[in-house]
Amino acid sequence: MEHIVFGIGITALTGALATVAGSAEDTESNIGSQGDPNSQVQLAPQMGFLHRIFNKAVAGEPPAYGLWCALGAGLAWAFMAMQFNAVLAIVLGSVLAVFVQGVYATTAYVGRTASLSKFGQPVYVDILKSMTTVTMAHAFIAIFATVALCQLINGALGHPFPLPLLGLVWGIALGAAGSATGNPYYGKERQYQNQKFGAGVPISASGNIVRYAEAGERNSLDNGWFTTKIGGSAAGVCFGLIVFLELWRTVLFEQVAAGWGAIVVGVLMILVFTVIDRYIEVWARKNYGPYTEAKEASS
Amino acid sequence: MTVKVEVIEGGIPHNKIMIAGIVSTLVCLYLTYLNVLTSTEMFSFFGGLAVIAALIWGSHTIKVLCSYGIGTGVPSAGMIAFGSGVIAMLLATKFGFYAPIVAAVLAAIIGFILGYVSNNILNMKIPAMVQALTEMAVVGALSLMGFAALITGGFTFAGLTTGHVTVMGMTLLTHEQSFLGGCLIAVAFLLGAIAIQHPFNACLGPGWTQDRMLMLTAECGFLSMLVAAIMSFALISTGSALISLIIAIIGWAYTYNEYMVLSKRDAAAWLDAKPIPEVEGH
Repeated sequence: MEHIVFGIGITALTGALATVAGSAEDTESNIGSQGDPNSQVQLAPQMGFLHRIFNKAVAGEPPAYGLWCALGAGLAWAFMAMQFNAVLAIVLGSVLAVFVQGVYATTAYVGRTASLSKFGQPVYVDILKSMTTVTMAHAFIAIFATVALCQLINGALGHPFPLPLLGLVWGIALGAAGSATGNPYYGKERQYQNQKFGAGVPISASGNIVRYAEAGERNSLDNGWFTTKIGGSAAGVCFGLIVFLELWRTVLFEQVAAGWGAIVVGVLMILVFTVIDRYIEVWARKNYGPYTEAKEASS
Repeated sequence: MTVKVEVIEGGIPHNKIMIAGIVSTLVCLYLTYLNVLTSTEMFSFFGGLAVIAALIWGSHTIKVLCSYGIGTGVPSAGMIAFGSGVIAMLLATKFGFYAPIVAAVLAAIIGFILGYVSNNILNMKIPAMVQALTEMAVVGALSLMGFAALITGGFTFAGLTTGHVTVMGMTLLTHEQSFLGGCLIAVAFLLGAIAIQHPFNACLGPGWTQDRMLMLTAECGFLSMLVAAIMSFALISTGSALISLIIAIIGWAYTYNEYMVLSKRDAAAWLDAKPIPEVEGH
């Protein structure tokens, strides 16, 4: 009984860490225009819409976060192998991983923008300086929280995978959660506030992203500020739930029928979530209605 | 969808890069064998240089392949390179001295099969696919072997699976503190997979230039070598790891600076805190 109570405590702690990580990850990727909003940011100058939006497409979020978290975990593992204290090792590993992330972000922005020289899109040094540092700060929170939860899974719950492999697995899961949950809010709504709500992106409006802010010209910090509110929180809840429920079923039902209990509960949870998702989708369609009429965009 | 969207204009032809890449990678990998001959770990940094040579070749292969609309994005090419390469690399480590050559041959076979499957069975019908996937599997296998040599000082299976841990002054053999046992191979996998796809992914577009992309590849390679060198402190002697780290830092600083200079050359303008330029018609 005692070890179950202990396991549930660790599960709650990892769930909380994962929520923080998911929220920070989504905000980071939105400030960097990573994931699916990226194509429009990349396309805009080609359609004549020059902008001051940061564009750091290192890779899709899952592989990128797979690397940052696996790297943070691998370095933390190495520091722990050198007899460093675990907390210090995780902090140092995350700092070095964030350094790599920052370097990749700058080369991605500069490279992409330089390749668009034909369309007159300039490289903004002030954007490079101010956005990269903010994404690095958010990435540090995301990486540190993820590596810390991996260490808890490995050290406290006794998971057989070594820390770097757990970092890889949960890093990819983190990127996938942020990419699937948070991005549409930026890519489909924030970039296209000048279009009808729920209109998607008509071909004629491609690249015509919103480039002016409440005051002055919009940059990616404005986007980060906007998406933190709902997109970031949603991504945090998503990743938090994934980590919490995954560990919860393992801790509680692993002893049932030689491990099969946890698998059966996992399948049941997927079924329950499928029903909930379907219900929400039908409800949303009924209330907001399908978008039928294709309207000409004003450019 | 086999529309070729870009062509390589000028610059070094791909075959030249390929030959230079495979030769320098194999030479660098074999130079790490000096570790065995001299019973030190001082020559581990050659593993990192092998990684950089392989990545430069591989990123140009990705450029050749992804100039066709393959429909899956550039990062997927990096994943398949290392995903197919890791099989060949792990099997080849059993062959001792011949490991790098065995890895290259095995990876070429695996890559060829994957290329054949994608082109003829999945019907992707992309002209460069078979050759590109073959090359990329070899790049993936040799890069992983380079990372292994950089972090552990060798590329044999025994060296990758055993480590030492000191308990109360006694040195014990352990499998947990090793390249494979600690799953550092997972980190090496992603370090390579992101570094190989990033240069073309970051430089694609109408203003693509070969020298800028290859400089970025070298930068990504040195950056990966830098963090891998830090991890190697756990598995090889401090002095040897320090040599790798210093070489990586110098190489990274130089290539990063050069890349920024080349980007400044290619960019439309390099502005600091200026508004969006006016374009006619908008």
